[in-house]
Amino acid sequence: MILMRTQSDPILVSMRSGLSAWAQGCGLLTLLFLMLATVMLPVRGQEEYSRPVTAAPQPEDIGDSYQLPAVQHVAPRSTWWYAVDVVLLFAALVAAALVAHRWRRRWMVVTITVASLAYFGFFRQGCVCPIGAIQNVAAAIADPTLAVPFVVVLFFLLPLIAALLVGRVFCSGVCPLGAIQDLAVLWPVQLPRAVDRWGGMLKYLYLAAALWFAVQPAGERDFIICRFDPFVGFFRLSGSAWMLLLGGGLLVLGMFVGRPYCRFLCPYGGLLAIVSRYALKSVCITPDEELDCGLCAESCPFGAIRNLRADRADCMACARCFAHCPRQQVKWGEIELVEIENTKPIQLRTPLAPVEAKT
Amino acid sequence: MNDPDRRQFLQRTGRTTCAVALGGTGIVLGRRACSEDAWAIVPNKCVNIRLGVTGSEQVCDVCATDCVLPLSAVRAVNDHAECGRCCICPAYYDVRGPMGPDGLPAKKLCPRDAIVRTPIGEVDPYDPLNNFYEYTIDESKCNGCGRCVMECKDPAGLGSIRLEVRYDLCVCCNQCSIAQHCPEEAYCRIGPQPAPARTLEGGHV
Repeated sequence: MILMRTQSDPILVSMRSGLSAWAQGCGLLTLLFLMLATVMLPVRGQEEYSRPVTAAPQPEDIGDSYQLPAVQHVAPRSTWWYAVDVVLLFAALVAAALVAHRWRRRWMVVTITVASLAYFGFFRQGCVCPIGAIQNVAAAIADPTLAVPFVVVLFFLLPLIAALLVGRVFCSGVCPLGAIQDLAVLWPVQLPRAVDRWGGMLKYLYLAAALWFAVQPAGERDFIICRFDPFVGFFRLSGSAWMLLLGGGLLVLGMFVGRPYCRFLCPYGGLLAIVSRYALKSVCITPDEELDCGLCAESCPFGAIRNLRADRADCMACARCFAHCPRQQVKWGEIELVEIENTKPIQLRTPLAPVEAKT
Repeated sequence: MNDPDRRQFLQRTGRTTCAVALGGTGIVLGRRACSEDAWAIVPNKCVNIRLGVTGSEQVCDVCATDCVLPLSAVRAVNDHAECGRCCICPAYYDVRGPMGPDGLPAKKLCPRDAIVRTPIGEVDPYDPLNNFYEYTIDESKCNGCGRCVMECKDPAGLGSIRLEVRYDLCVCCNQCSIAQHCPEEAYCRIGPQPAPARTLEGGHV
Protein backbone atom coordinates (compact mmCIF):
# COMPACT_ATOMS: atom_id res chain seq x y z
CA MET A 1 0.00 0.00 0.00
CA ILE A 2 1.25 3.39 -0.92
CA LEU A 3 0.38 6.49 0.92
CA MET A 4 -1.29 8.20 -1.97
CA ARG A 5 -3.72 6.92 -4.49
CA THR A 6 -1.83 6.46 -7.71
CA GLN A 7 -3.45 6.83 -11.03
CA SER A 8 -0.86 4.53 -12.52
CA ASP A 9 -1.73 1.56 -10.38
CA PRO A 10 -1.83 -1.06 -13.18
CA ILE A 11 1.54 0.11 -14.52
CA LEU A 12 2.97 -0.10 -11.07
CA VAL A 13 1.68 -3.62 -10.64
CA SER A 14 2.97 -4.80 -14.00
CA MET A 15 6.36 -3.24 -13.33
CA ARG A 16 6.46 -4.96 -9.99
CA SER A 17 5.60 -8.36 -11.40
CA GLY A 18 7.92 -7.97 -14.38
CA LEU A 19 10.74 -6.89 -12.17
CA SER A 20 10.14 -9.62 -9.66
CA ALA A 21 10.43 -12.28 -12.37
CA TRP A 22 13.78 -10.82 -13.24
CA ALA A 23 14.71 -10.55 -9.60
CA GLN A 24 14.26 -14.24 -8.99
CA GLY A 25 17.29 -14.86 -11.18
CA CYS A 26 19.46 -12.10 -9.76
CA GLY A 27 19.62 -12.90 -6.12
CA LEU A 28 19.14 -11.14 -2.88
CA LEU A 29 20.94 -7.91 -3.74
CA THR A 30 18.66 -7.14 -6.62
CA LEU A 31 15.66 -7.98 -4.51
CA LEU A 32 16.79 -5.45 -1.97
CA PHE A 33 17.27 -2.87 -4.70
CA LEU A 34 13.86 -3.68 -6.05
CA MET A 35 12.20 -3.13 -2.71
CA LEU A 36 13.93 0.18 -2.40
CA ALA A 37 12.90 1.06 -5.93
CA THR A 38 9.30 0.21 -5.23
CA VAL A 39 9.34 2.48 -2.24
CA MET A 40 11.05 5.30 -4.09
CA LEU A 41 9.09 4.84 -7.29
CA PRO A 42 7.92 8.29 -8.34
CA VAL A 43 4.18 8.50 -8.22
CA ARG A 44 2.35 10.91 -10.43
CA GLY A 45 1.24 14.06 -8.63
CA GLN A 46 3.55 13.40 -5.75
CA GLU A 47 7.11 14.13 -6.67
CA GLU A 48 8.70 14.64 -3.31
CA TYR A 49 8.21 11.87 -0.89
CA SER A 50 5.92 9.15 0.16
CA ARG A 51 5.93 7.20 3.33
CA PRO A 52 4.84 3.67 2.58
CA VAL A 53 2.09 2.75 4.93
CA THR A 54 1.56 -0.91 5.32
CA ALA A 55 0.78 -0.95 8.98
CA ALA A 56 -0.53 1.65 11.32
CA PRO A 57 2.19 3.25 13.43
CA GLN A 58 1.64 2.41 17.05
CA PRO A 59 2.51 4.64 20.02
CA GLU A 60 5.97 3.05 20.31
CA ASP A 61 6.69 3.91 16.66
CA ILE A 62 5.56 7.46 17.16
CA GLY A 63 7.44 7.96 20.41
CA ASP A 64 7.32 11.06 22.56
CA SER A 65 5.05 9.27 25.01
CA TYR A 66 2.22 9.50 22.55
CA GLN A 67 -1.09 8.30 23.92
CA LEU A 68 -3.65 6.67 21.67
CA PRO A 69 -6.72 8.84 21.80
CA ALA A 70 -9.92 7.17 22.88
CA VAL A 71 -11.79 5.80 19.91
CA GLN A 72 -15.11 7.51 19.48
CA HIS A 73 -16.83 4.29 20.19
CA VAL A 74 -20.53 4.16 20.15
CA ALA A 75 -22.00 4.24 23.60
CA PRO A 76 -24.15 1.24 24.33
CA ARG A 77 -27.83 1.92 24.05
CA SER A 78 -29.16 2.85 27.42
CA THR A 79 -31.61 0.13 28.33
CA TRP A 80 -32.39 2.40 31.21
CA TRP A 81 -34.67 4.48 29.01
CA TYR A 82 -36.57 1.39 28.01
CA ALA A 83 -37.14 0.54 31.65
CA VAL A 84 -38.43 4.08 32.17
CA ASP A 85 -40.72 3.65 29.16
CA VAL A 86 -42.23 0.45 30.48
CA VAL A 87 -42.66 1.80 34.01
CA LEU A 88 -44.31 4.96 32.71
CA LEU A 89 -46.57 2.98 30.40
CA PHE A 90 -47.63 0.81 33.31
CA ALA A 91 -48.19 3.82 35.56
CA ALA A 92 -50.19 5.62 32.88
CA LEU A 93 -52.37 2.55 32.30
CA VAL A 94 -53.07 2.22 36.01
CA ALA A 95 -53.86 5.92 36.27
CA ALA A 96 -56.15 5.80 33.23
CA ALA A 97 -57.92 2.75 34.66
CA LEU A 98 -58.45 4.47 38.00
CA VAL A 99 -59.82 7.56 36.27
CA ALA A 100 -62.14 5.52 34.10
CA HIS A 101 -63.53 3.45 36.94
CA ARG A 102 -63.12 5.45 40.13
CA TRP A 103 -62.20 9.12 39.88
CA ARG A 104 -64.14 9.75 36.65
CA ARG A 105 -62.74 13.23 36.10
CA ARG A 106 -62.20 14.49 32.59
CA TRP A 107 -59.35 16.81 33.57
CA MET A 108 -57.38 13.84 34.84
CA VAL A 109 -57.68 12.18 31.44
CA VAL A 110 -56.57 15.41 29.79
CA THR A 111 -53.56 15.49 32.12
CA ILE A 112 -52.63 11.93 31.19
CA THR A 113 -53.17 12.81 27.53
CA VAL A 114 -50.89 15.83 27.61
CA ALA A 115 -48.22 14.05 29.66
CA SER A 116 -48.24 11.02 27.40
CA LEU A 117 -48.13 13.15 24.27
CA ALA A 118 -45.17 15.01 25.69
CA TYR A 119 -43.26 11.92 26.81
CA PHE A 120 -44.13 9.06 24.44
CA GLY A 121 -44.80 11.41 21.56
CA PHE A 122 -42.44 14.31 21.46
CA PHE A 123 -39.72 13.15 23.85
CA ARG A 124 -39.42 9.49 22.86
CA GLN A 125 -40.45 10.35 19.31
CA GLY A 126 -43.10 7.72 18.95
CA CYS A 127 -40.89 4.60 19.12
CA VAL A 128 -41.54 2.07 20.59
CA CYS A 129 -45.30 2.05 20.42
CA PRO A 130 -47.74 -0.82 20.87
CA ILE A 131 -49.31 -0.17 17.46
CA GLY A 132 -46.05 -0.81 15.67
CA ALA A 133 -45.18 -3.60 18.09
CA ILE A 134 -47.90 -5.71 16.46
CA GLN A 135 -45.60 -6.16 13.50
CA ASN A 136 -42.53 -7.00 15.57
CA VAL A 137 -44.52 -9.58 17.48
CA ALA A 138 -46.00 -11.06 14.32
CA ALA A 139 -42.63 -11.12 12.57
CA ALA A 140 -40.96 -12.64 15.62
CA ILE A 141 -43.55 -15.40 15.84
CA ALA A 142 -43.13 -16.14 12.13
CA ASP A 143 -39.33 -15.89 12.09
CA PRO A 144 -37.63 -17.33 15.18
CA THR A 145 -34.29 -15.74 14.31
CA LEU A 146 -35.60 -12.23 14.66
CA ALA A 147 -34.68 -10.07 17.60
CA VAL A 148 -37.55 -9.30 19.87
CA PRO A 149 -36.66 -6.96 22.69
CA PHE A 150 -38.40 -7.21 26.04
CA VAL A 151 -39.63 -3.68 25.71
CA VAL A 152 -41.50 -4.54 22.52
CA VAL A 153 -43.14 -7.59 24.09
CA LEU A 154 -44.15 -5.59 27.14
CA PHE A 155 -45.43 -2.66 25.09
CA PHE A 156 -47.48 -5.07 23.02
CA LEU A 157 -48.92 -7.02 25.96
CA LEU A 158 -49.49 -4.45 28.72
CA PRO A 159 -52.27 -2.46 27.00
CA LEU A 160 -53.96 -5.68 25.88
CA ILE A 161 -53.87 -7.09 29.43
CA ALA A 162 -55.24 -3.77 30.67
CA ALA A 163 -58.00 -4.03 28.05
CA LEU A 164 -58.88 -7.50 29.22
CA LEU A 165 -59.19 -6.24 32.79
CA VAL A 166 -60.62 -2.75 32.56
CA GLY A 167 -61.30 -1.90 28.92
CA ARG A 168 -59.49 0.30 26.41
CA VAL A 169 -57.77 2.55 28.94
CA PHE A 170 -54.68 2.65 26.72
CA CYS A 171 -56.69 4.56 24.14
CA SER A 172 -58.00 7.07 26.66
CA GLY A 173 -54.85 9.14 26.71
CA VAL A 174 -51.83 6.90 27.05
CA CYS A 175 -51.37 6.30 23.33
CA PRO A 176 -49.57 9.29 21.84
CA LEU A 177 -51.38 8.90 18.54
CA GLY A 178 -54.71 8.94 20.32
CA ALA A 179 -53.55 11.78 22.53
CA ILE A 180 -52.68 14.11 19.67
CA GLN A 181 -56.07 13.44 18.08
CA ASP A 182 -57.96 13.73 21.34
CA LEU A 183 -56.66 17.23 21.84
CA ALA A 184 -57.84 18.07 18.33
CA VAL A 185 -61.47 17.12 19.01
CA LEU A 186 -63.12 20.54 18.96
CA TRP A 187 -66.54 20.43 17.32
CA PRO A 188 -67.41 16.74 17.13
CA VAL A 189 -70.36 15.67 15.06
CA GLN A 190 -72.26 12.42 15.47
CA LEU A 191 -71.67 10.15 12.54
CA PRO A 192 -74.41 7.91 11.22
CA ARG A 193 -74.29 4.49 12.84
CA ALA A 194 -73.58 2.77 9.54
CA VAL A 195 -70.46 4.85 8.96
CA ASP A 196 -69.19 3.91 12.38
CA ARG A 197 -69.92 0.27 11.91
CA TRP A 198 -68.59 -0.21 8.41
CA GLY A 199 -65.81 2.31 8.76
CA GLY A 200 -64.70 0.50 11.88
CA MET A 201 -64.18 -2.64 9.79
CA LEU A 202 -61.34 -0.87 7.96
CA LYS A 203 -59.06 -1.25 10.94
CA TYR A 204 -59.35 -5.02 10.81
CA LEU A 205 -58.45 -4.96 7.13
CA TYR A 206 -55.47 -2.77 7.97
CA LEU A 207 -54.52 -5.16 10.78
CA ALA A 208 -54.68 -8.11 8.40
CA ALA A 209 -52.57 -6.28 5.81
CA ALA A 210 -50.01 -5.27 8.44
CA LEU A 211 -49.77 -8.86 9.70
CA TRP A 212 -49.41 -10.14 6.15
CA PHE A 213 -46.55 -7.80 5.35
CA ALA A 214 -44.88 -8.40 8.71
CA VAL A 215 -44.68 -12.19 8.39
CA GLN A 216 -42.98 -12.12 4.99
CA PRO A 217 -39.41 -13.44 4.80
CA ALA A 218 -36.70 -11.02 5.85
CA GLY A 219 -36.03 -9.38 2.50
CA GLU A 220 -39.64 -8.55 1.69
CA ARG A 221 -40.75 -7.79 5.21
CA ASP A 222 -42.36 -4.41 5.50
CA PHE A 223 -43.76 -2.67 8.53
CA ILE A 224 -46.56 -0.74 6.90
CA ILE A 225 -48.04 0.57 10.17
CA CYS A 226 -44.82 2.41 10.90
CA ARG A 227 -44.33 3.45 7.33
CA PHE A 228 -47.77 4.99 7.14
CA ASP A 229 -47.88 6.30 10.68
CA PRO A 230 -49.56 9.66 10.13
CA PHE A 231 -48.48 11.40 13.33
CA VAL A 232 -44.93 10.25 13.94
CA GLY A 233 -43.73 12.97 11.58
CA PHE A 234 -45.06 15.57 14.01
CA PHE A 235 -43.35 13.88 16.94
CA ARG A 236 -40.02 13.85 15.15
CA LEU A 237 -40.57 17.19 13.46
CA SER A 238 -39.45 15.61 10.22
CA GLY A 239 -40.85 13.26 7.67
CA SER A 240 -41.98 13.03 4.11
CA ALA A 241 -44.23 15.85 2.98
CA TRP A 242 -47.17 13.72 2.07
CA MET A 243 -47.17 11.80 5.35
CA LEU A 244 -47.15 15.10 7.24
CA LEU A 245 -49.95 16.26 4.98
CA LEU A 246 -51.91 13.10 5.72
CA GLY A 247 -51.35 13.58 9.45
CA GLY A 248 -52.40 17.20 9.24
CA GLY A 249 -55.44 16.19 7.22
CA LEU A 250 -56.43 13.61 9.81
CA LEU A 251 -56.06 16.20 12.57
CA VAL A 252 -58.24 18.69 10.68
CA LEU A 253 -60.80 15.96 10.06
CA GLY A 254 -60.44 15.05 13.73
CA MET A 255 -61.74 18.45 14.76
CA PHE A 256 -65.16 17.32 13.54
CA VAL A 257 -64.97 13.54 13.51
CA GLY A 258 -63.55 12.39 16.83
CA ARG A 259 -60.24 10.51 16.45
CA PRO A 260 -60.58 9.24 12.90
CA TYR A 261 -57.35 7.22 12.99
CA CYS A 262 -58.28 5.43 16.23
CA ARG A 263 -61.79 4.63 15.14
CA PHE A 264 -61.33 3.64 11.55
CA LEU A 265 -57.70 2.77 10.95
CA CYS A 266 -55.73 1.86 14.06
CA PRO A 267 -54.89 -1.87 13.85
CA TYR A 268 -54.03 -2.02 17.54
CA GLY A 269 -57.41 -0.46 18.21
CA GLY A 270 -58.83 -3.49 16.40
CA LEU A 271 -57.00 -5.86 18.71
CA LEU A 272 -58.04 -3.85 21.76
CA ALA A 273 -61.66 -3.84 20.58
CA ILE A 274 -61.66 -7.62 20.29
CA VAL A 275 -60.08 -8.09 23.71
CA SER A 276 -62.06 -5.41 25.53
CA ARG A 277 -65.30 -7.07 24.43
CA TYR A 278 -64.48 -9.62 27.12
CA ALA A 279 -63.22 -7.14 29.69
CA LEU A 280 -63.82 -7.89 33.34
CA LYS A 281 -64.96 -4.35 34.02
CA SER A 282 -66.38 -1.94 31.52
CA VAL A 283 -67.00 1.77 31.70
CA CYS A 284 -70.24 2.54 33.55
CA ILE A 285 -71.52 5.98 32.65
CA THR A 286 -73.70 6.95 35.58
CA PRO A 287 -72.29 6.77 39.08
CA ASP A 288 -75.53 5.41 40.50
CA GLU A 289 -78.98 5.59 39.00
CA GLU A 290 -79.63 6.80 35.53
CA LEU A 291 -81.93 9.46 34.20
CA ASP A 292 -82.19 8.18 30.61
CA CYS A 293 -81.47 11.72 29.51
CA GLY A 294 -79.14 10.77 26.69
CA LEU A 295 -76.72 13.60 27.38
CA CYS A 296 -73.88 11.08 27.55
CA ALA A 297 -74.62 9.78 24.08
CA GLU A 298 -74.56 13.33 22.76
CA SER A 299 -71.29 14.08 24.49
CA CYS A 300 -69.46 11.06 23.11
CA PRO A 301 -67.49 12.19 20.04
CA PHE A 302 -66.81 8.59 19.04
CA GLY A 303 -70.34 7.27 18.81
CA ALA A 304 -69.46 4.65 21.38
CA ILE A 305 -72.62 4.96 23.48
CA ARG A 306 -75.47 2.82 22.29
CA ASN A 307 -78.74 2.40 24.13
CA LEU A 308 -77.29 4.68 26.78
CA ARG A 309 -74.55 2.17 27.49
CA ALA A 310 -70.89 2.51 26.65
CA ASP A 311 -70.05 -0.06 24.02
CA ARG A 312 -67.20 -2.12 25.42
CA ALA A 313 -65.45 -2.53 22.11
CA ASP A 314 -65.60 1.13 21.05
CA CYS A 315 -65.44 3.07 24.33
CA MET A 316 -62.04 4.71 24.65
CA ALA A 317 -62.55 5.72 28.28
CA CYS A 318 -62.06 9.41 27.55
CA ALA A 319 -64.38 10.36 30.46
CA ARG A 320 -66.32 12.95 28.44
CA CYS A 321 -69.63 11.24 29.25
CA PHE A 322 -68.95 11.44 32.99
CA ALA A 323 -68.53 15.16 32.77
CA HIS A 324 -71.86 15.50 30.96
CA CYS A 325 -73.85 13.17 33.17
CA PRO A 326 -76.30 15.07 35.42
CA ARG A 327 -76.24 12.34 38.03
CA GLN A 328 -72.47 12.59 38.16
CA GLN A 329 -72.68 16.35 38.49
CA VAL A 330 -75.16 15.99 41.32
CA LYS A 331 -72.82 13.63 43.02
CA TRP A 332 -69.94 16.07 42.68
CA GLY A 333 -72.19 18.85 43.97
CA GLU A 334 -71.85 20.85 40.79
CA ILE A 335 -75.60 21.05 40.25
CA GLU A 336 -78.62 20.45 42.40
CA LEU A 337 -81.78 18.76 41.38
CA VAL A 338 -84.70 20.95 42.35
CA GLU A 339 -88.34 20.23 42.20
CA ILE A 340 -90.07 22.44 39.76
CA GLU A 341 -93.72 22.48 40.76
CA ASN A 342 -94.65 20.29 43.62
CA THR A 343 -92.85 18.90 46.55
CA LYS A 344 -92.77 15.35 45.36
CA PRO A 345 -89.37 13.84 45.43
CA ILE A 346 -87.94 13.45 41.98
CA GLN A 347 -88.69 10.16 40.39
CA LEU A 348 -85.59 8.68 39.05
CA ARG A 349 -85.65 6.43 36.00
CA THR A 350 -88.20 8.70 34.37
CA PRO A 351 -86.94 10.78 31.51
CA LEU A 352 -86.56 14.36 32.71
CA ALA A 353 -85.95 15.76 29.31
CA PRO A 354 -86.42 13.15 26.67
CA VAL A 355 -83.71 14.25 24.29
CA GLU A 356 -83.45 11.84 21.42
CA ALA A 357 -84.29 8.70 23.25
CA LYS A 358 -82.09 6.51 21.12
CA THR A 359 -83.11 2.91 20.88
CA MET B 1 -79.58 -14.82 22.66
CA ASN B 2 -80.48 -12.82 25.70
CA ASP B 3 -80.30 -15.81 27.90
CA PRO B 4 -78.05 -14.58 30.72
CA ASP B 5 -76.38 -17.94 31.22
CA ARG B 6 -75.47 -18.23 27.58
CA ARG B 7 -74.24 -14.66 27.55
CA GLN B 8 -72.12 -15.20 30.63
CA PHE B 9 -70.73 -18.39 29.15
CA LEU B 10 -69.72 -16.63 25.95
CA GLN B 11 -68.21 -13.79 27.90
CA ARG B 12 -66.17 -16.15 30.05
CA THR B 13 -65.05 -18.24 27.10
CA GLY B 14 -63.97 -15.16 25.23
CA ARG B 15 -62.12 -13.81 28.23
CA THR B 16 -60.31 -17.10 28.81
CA THR B 17 -59.41 -17.34 25.13
CA CYS B 18 -57.97 -13.83 25.15
CA ALA B 19 -56.06 -14.47 28.35
CA VAL B 20 -54.60 -17.70 26.95
CA ALA B 21 -53.68 -16.01 23.67
CA LEU B 22 -51.96 -13.11 25.42
CA GLY B 23 -50.21 -15.40 27.90
CA GLY B 24 -49.10 -17.70 25.09
CA THR B 25 -47.67 -14.83 23.08
CA GLY B 26 -45.94 -13.57 26.18
CA ILE B 27 -44.39 -16.93 26.97
CA VAL B 28 -43.32 -17.70 23.38
CA LEU B 29 -41.71 -14.34 22.87
CA GLY B 30 -40.54 -13.78 26.43
CA ARG B 31 -38.44 -16.92 26.30
CA ARG B 32 -36.25 -15.59 23.56
CA ALA B 33 -36.63 -11.91 24.18
CA CYS B 34 -33.46 -9.91 24.56
CA SER B 35 -32.82 -6.83 26.54
CA GLU B 36 -31.91 -4.75 23.55
CA ASP B 37 -31.87 -4.64 19.85
CA ALA B 38 -30.17 -2.22 17.58
CA TRP B 39 -29.50 -1.32 14.00
CA ALA B 40 -25.96 -1.92 12.85
CA ILE B 41 -23.96 -1.64 9.65
CA VAL B 42 -22.46 -4.85 8.31
CA PRO B 43 -18.97 -3.79 7.14
CA ASN B 44 -18.70 -6.49 4.50
CA LYS B 45 -21.88 -5.38 2.79
CA CYS B 46 -21.68 -1.63 3.13
CA VAL B 47 -20.55 -0.10 -0.16
CA ASN B 48 -18.54 2.53 1.65
CA ILE B 49 -16.72 0.15 3.99
CA ARG B 50 -16.20 -3.06 2.04
CA LEU B 51 -13.17 -3.49 -0.19
CA GLY B 52 -13.45 -3.40 -3.94
CA VAL B 53 -15.27 -0.16 -4.49
CA THR B 54 -13.16 2.96 -4.20
CA GLY B 55 -13.38 6.61 -5.02
CA SER B 56 -15.43 9.10 -3.10
CA GLU B 57 -17.46 9.91 -6.20
CA GLN B 58 -19.00 6.45 -5.89
CA VAL B 59 -20.04 7.06 -2.32
CA CYS B 60 -23.42 5.86 -1.09
CA ASP B 61 -24.74 8.55 1.22
CA VAL B 62 -28.05 6.94 2.13
CA CYS B 63 -27.00 6.88 5.79
CA ALA B 64 -26.62 10.64 5.74
CA THR B 65 -29.69 11.49 3.73
CA ASP B 66 -32.30 8.98 4.81
CA CYS B 67 -32.19 8.96 8.60
CA VAL B 68 -35.29 10.39 10.23
CA LEU B 69 -33.11 12.47 12.51
CA PRO B 70 -32.07 15.93 11.31
CA LEU B 71 -28.42 14.86 11.63
CA SER B 72 -28.12 11.16 10.93
CA ALA B 73 -27.40 8.74 13.78
CA VAL B 74 -24.61 7.27 11.65
CA ARG B 75 -21.14 8.66 12.17
CA ALA B 76 -17.72 8.00 10.76
CA VAL B 77 -15.45 6.61 13.45
CA ASN B 78 -11.68 6.60 13.20
CA ASP B 79 -10.11 3.66 14.96
CA HIS B 80 -6.86 5.34 15.97
CA ALA B 81 -5.06 2.06 16.52
CA GLU B 82 -5.52 1.29 12.81
CA CYS B 83 -4.87 4.78 11.49
CA GLY B 84 -1.76 5.29 9.33
CA ARG B 85 -1.50 8.91 10.53
CA CYS B 86 -0.41 9.89 7.04
CA CYS B 87 0.56 13.42 6.16
CA ILE B 88 -1.56 13.36 3.05
CA CYS B 89 -4.51 11.46 4.31
CA PRO B 90 -6.78 10.50 1.41
CA ALA B 91 -9.77 10.78 3.70
CA TYR B 92 -8.80 14.25 4.85
CA TYR B 93 -7.59 15.73 1.58
CA ASP B 94 -9.19 15.53 -1.80
CA VAL B 95 -6.06 13.86 -3.21
CA ARG B 96 -7.32 13.95 -6.78
CA GLY B 97 -7.91 17.65 -6.67
CA PRO B 98 -5.29 20.30 -7.51
CA MET B 99 -2.23 20.69 -5.35
CA GLY B 100 -1.82 23.77 -3.23
CA PRO B 101 1.39 25.83 -3.05
CA ASP B 102 2.54 23.99 0.09
CA GLY B 103 2.62 20.64 -1.69
CA LEU B 104 -0.57 19.47 0.00
CA PRO B 105 -3.85 19.00 -1.83
CA ALA B 106 -5.74 22.26 -1.81
CA LYS B 107 -9.16 20.89 -1.01
CA LYS B 108 -10.47 18.83 1.89
CA LEU B 109 -12.56 15.81 1.14
CA CYS B 110 -15.17 16.15 3.87
CA PRO B 111 -18.02 18.34 2.66
CA ARG B 112 -18.82 19.33 6.24
CA ASP B 113 -15.21 19.77 7.37
CA ALA B 114 -15.76 17.28 10.17
CA ILE B 115 -12.24 15.81 10.27
CA VAL B 116 -9.72 17.49 12.54
CA ARG B 117 -6.03 17.08 11.71
CA THR B 118 -3.47 17.61 14.43
CA PRO B 119 0.25 16.98 14.03
CA ILE B 120 1.75 14.71 16.65
CA GLY B 121 4.79 16.20 18.34
CA GLU B 122 7.09 18.68 16.63
CA VAL B 123 6.72 19.20 12.90
CA ASP B 124 10.06 19.31 11.10
CA PRO B 125 9.59 22.29 8.75
CA TYR B 126 11.88 20.70 6.15
CA ASP B 127 10.16 17.37 6.22
CA PRO B 128 6.51 17.86 7.16
CA LEU B 129 5.49 14.84 5.12
CA ASN B 130 7.32 12.54 7.43
CA ASN B 131 5.44 13.62 10.49
CA PHE B 132 2.59 11.75 12.08
CA TYR B 133 -0.80 13.35 12.16
CA GLU B 134 -3.77 12.50 14.25
CA TYR B 135 -7.19 12.54 12.62
CA THR B 136 -10.22 12.85 14.81
CA ILE B 137 -13.80 13.18 13.68
CA ASP B 138 -15.90 16.00 14.98
CA GLU B 139 -19.10 14.17 15.79
CA SER B 140 -21.15 17.31 15.94
CA LYS B 141 -20.41 17.91 12.26
CA CYS B 142 -20.18 14.41 10.80
CA ASN B 143 -23.37 13.20 9.18
CA GLY B 144 -22.12 9.79 8.10
CA CYS B 145 -21.98 10.50 4.37
CA GLY B 146 -19.12 8.01 4.07
CA ARG B 147 -16.79 9.87 1.72
CA CYS B 148 -13.83 9.52 4.07
CA VAL B 149 -14.70 5.87 4.66
CA MET B 150 -14.71 5.30 0.93
CA GLU B 151 -11.20 6.78 0.59
CA CYS B 152 -9.58 5.31 3.69
CA LYS B 153 -9.31 1.78 2.39
CA ASP B 154 -7.31 -0.29 0.02
CA PRO B 155 -5.32 0.83 -1.96
CA ALA B 156 -4.87 4.29 -0.48
CA GLY B 157 -5.64 3.81 3.17
CA LEU B 158 -5.70 1.28 5.93
CA GLY B 159 -9.43 1.17 6.50
CA SER B 160 -9.30 2.74 9.92
CA ILE B 161 -12.37 4.88 9.34
CA ARG B 162 -15.69 3.06 9.43
CA LEU B 163 -19.30 4.05 9.54
CA GLU B 164 -21.05 3.13 12.75
CA VAL B 165 -24.50 3.64 14.14
CA ARG B 166 -24.47 5.73 17.27
CA TYR B 167 -26.88 3.83 19.48
CA ASP B 168 -27.31 6.74 21.82
CA LEU B 169 -28.62 8.83 18.93
CA CYS B 170 -30.49 6.20 16.94
CA VAL B 171 -34.19 6.25 17.79
CA CYS B 172 -34.35 2.64 16.65
CA CYS B 173 -37.34 3.05 14.36
CA ASN B 174 -39.19 -0.10 13.61
CA GLN B 175 -39.19 0.69 9.93
CA CYS B 176 -35.69 2.12 9.73
CA SER B 177 -35.64 4.51 6.87
CA ILE B 178 -31.94 3.95 6.16
CA ALA B 179 -32.37 0.17 6.11
CA GLN B 180 -35.17 0.56 3.63
CA HIS B 181 -33.05 2.51 1.21
CA CYS B 182 -29.72 0.76 1.79
CA PRO B 183 -28.71 -0.62 -1.62
CA GLU B 184 -26.87 -3.62 -0.20
CA GLU B 185 -28.97 -4.61 2.82
CA ALA B 186 -25.96 -3.69 4.92
CA TYR B 187 -28.07 -1.91 7.49
CA CYS B 188 -29.54 -4.64 9.60
CA ARG B 189 -31.10 -5.32 12.91
CA ILE B 190 -29.03 -7.09 15.51
CA GLY B 191 -30.35 -8.54 18.69
CA PRO B 192 -29.78 -12.02 20.01
CA GLN B 193 -27.58 -12.63 16.99
CA PRO B 194 -23.94 -11.66 17.35
CA ALA B 195 -22.90 -8.29 16.02
CA PRO B 196 -21.59 -8.34 12.44
CA ALA B 197 -17.94 -9.19 11.98
CA ARG B 198 -15.56 -6.25 11.81
CA THR B 199 -12.93 -7.99 9.71
CA LEU B 200 -13.25 -7.15 6.05
CA GLU B 201 -13.29 -9.96 3.55
CA GLY B 202 -10.04 -9.82 1.60
CA GLY B 203 -7.92 -7.65 3.84
CA HIS B 204 -8.00 -5.00 6.55
CA VAL B 205 -8.62 -6.00 10.10
